[in-house]
Amino acid sequence: MTTLDVAPGRAGLLARVDELLGRRVSMRSLALLRIVAGPLVLLHLRPFVVDAAHGRIYRDAFYQPYVSWYPDLPRSLYIALLWIGAAAAIAMSAGLWTRLTTVTTFAVVAYNFFLSTTHFHNNRAYLFIVLAVLAVAPCGRELSIDAWARSRRGLPPLDPTAPGWPLWLLRFEASAIYGASGLSKLLDPDWFGGAVSWDRLVQSKDKLTATPLPGWVVSALTDRTVHVYAAKLVVLTELFIAIGLWWRGTRYVAVWVAVCFHLSIEASADVEVFSYLAIAALVIWAVPSTRDRMLGMDLSAAGQRWLATTVRRLDWLARFRVEETRSGPVRVVDRDGRVFRGGPAVVFVLSRLPLTAWFTLPVLLLLRAAATRRERPSLRGQDR
Amino acid sequence: MSKESFLTRKAAVKTVKWHQFGDGSAEASDVVPCDRLPVDTRARIVGRRAAVAVVVLAQLLLIARGYWSDHKQFAFQMFPESSTWRADVVRVTDGDQRVPVSEPWSGYRWEDLVTSRGLQTPWVRHHADAGVDNQLAFLTAALQWVADHTPRDHETRYLEATVTYWHNLDAPKTVVLRSHDRIGPP
Repeated sequence: MTTLDVAPGRAGLLARVDELLGRRVSMRSLALLRIVAGPLVLLHLRPFVVDAAHGRIYRDAFYQPYVSWYPDLPRSLYIALLWIGAAAAIAMSAGLWTRLTTVTTFAVVAYNFFLSTTHFHNNRAYLFIVLAVLAVAPCGRELSIDAWARSRRGLPPLDPTAPGWPLWLLRFEASAIYGASGLSKLLDPDWFGGAVSWDRLVQSKDKLTATPLPGWVVSALTDRTVHVYAAKLVVLTELFIAIGLWWRGTRYVAVWVAVCFHLSIEASADVEVFSYLAIAALVIWAVPSTRDRMLGMDLSAAGQRWLATTVRRLDWLARFRVEETRSGPVRVVDRDGRVFRGGPAVVFVLSRLPLTAWFTLPVLLLLRAAATRRERPSLRGQDR
Repeated sequence: MSKESFLTRKAAVKTVKWHQFGDGSAEASDVVPCDRLPVDTRARIVGRRAAVAVVVLAQLLLIARGYWSDHKQFAFQMFPESSTWRADVVRVTDGDQRVPVSEPWSGYRWEDLVTSRGLQTPWVRHHADAGVDNQLAFLTAALQWVADHTPRDHETRYLEATVTYWHNLDAPKTVVLRSHDRIGPP
C-alpha cells in the first residue's frame, strides 16, 4: 500500500485513516449477509410485485416523488424491473455472477425506493444501505456458486480479503441506526418519561388482552409507573447497542442484547424486514479474519465427531481451523493464545457459531464468572 | 481401513466439497489477487477516503435533519410518538357544497386513490406512525394529488381536511388543510 504525501502534522492521522480503510480484511461476514439479504429483498419486493400482478403500480394511487425529474418508467418496464430485481436477489443470494446480480439488486431496490416519499420506511432504508455496501464489496469470492464454479474449473480461489472500508462503513451505519433511534428518544421528554410507550400500549390494550398473556402481565404493561422506568431501559438499550458493538469487551453482550431487542420488536410491531435484517447484519461485527482459532478434536470419539460435524456445518463465519488430535478432550486455541479444554472449549466453540451463539454466550459468561471465582487456569488463559 | 482413518478421510472429503464454495481456509499463497492494481494508487486512496467521508457526513446530516423536517428519511427515529389523528376530508364543490370523500364521486373512491401511509380511511382515528408532522405533511400531499388526478370530476373546487390530532398525551388540536383550487375542465 502506498501513502499519500501530506503535511507531517496531518500525516499521522491521515495515514492511520488510510491504513484502516485500505486494510485487507476477510469479506466473509459480508458474504454471509449477502446470502441472507436475497430472501429479505424478496420479502421487501413482494407487495410491489403482488400489486403489479393485480394491475396496480405505485402511480395508480397517491405517491409523492422526491424530485420532479426522477424518471418514471413505462408501466410494463417498471413491472419487468421488479421481476428482474427479484431474480437478481435470488442469484445474489446464491452467489451467481455475484457482482452483477448484487449491483442489479441494489439498483432495482434503490430505484423503487426513491420513486416516492411514500415508499420510505426505516427498514427499507437499512436494506438500501446494506445492499449498497454489498454492491461495492467483493462479497462473492466465498460461499457462492461463483467460487464453486471456479473450483470446478480447477482454478485457484480468488483472494477472499479486500480493503475493509465497506465493512467499516456498514458498521458505522448499523451503529448510527441504533444511536439515532436512542438519541431521539433520549432528547424527547415524552419518550424518556415513559408517556409515549405507555400511551401506545394503552391504545393497544384490547389487542393485548386478546393475546394469551396473563392478566397481570397486561396490567403491568399498561401501568404507567412501569413505563417511567421501561422507557429509560429502552433508550439505554439502544444507546448501549450503538456504542457497545464497537469494543471487544462489550461486543458479545451488545450482540446478545440486540438479538433480544429485535425479537421483542418483531413480536410487538410490524416492521417489515427490519428485525431479520438487523439480526443478520450483526455478523458484520465478527472480527474480519478467518480460521484463526484452532479447534483440536479426537475424531475417533463420538462426541467430538458430533462437534466436528456441527462446526463444519454451522461455522458460517469460518472462525475455526479444525485439526485432528490423537486423543484427549476438545481443545481450542483462541487467536490470542488462550487455551480452552473440555466442556469450556465446547461452550466457547458454540458461542462463536452464529446460530448457537445467542444460547451459549450466557453459559460462557457463567463459566467465566465461576472460573474467575475458583481461579481455574483453563479459563483464565494461564496455560498459554 | 481402520475406523480412525475412515473418519479422517470422510471428514477430508466433506471439507474439500465445502471448500469449493470457499470456506475461508485458503492460504494467502493459494489465492489469486483480484485487484487490478497491485498497490493502492493515489486516486484510489483519495477516492476511498472521500467516499467514506461523504457517506458518514451525509448520514450525520440526515440524522440531524430528522429533528426539524416533517419527513425524516434516514434519520432513524423509530416509534417516535404515540400521537393519533383523524380527519374529516371533504370535497368543496363549485356550489360550495361540502361532500365527504367517504362517499364515492365521479367513479372515484378515496380508498382507491390514497392507499398508503395510513391515509386510506382518514375518518377513522389512527396512530401517526412517523409522528404528527409527518402525517400532516403526507395528508396535505395526498389532498393535492387527489385534486390533480381526478379528471372525471368536474364539480370539485378543492379538497379540505379538518384534522384533529392528539400529540402524545397532549390535549387535541385541530388544523385545516386544503388542496389548491383545481383547474376547471378543458
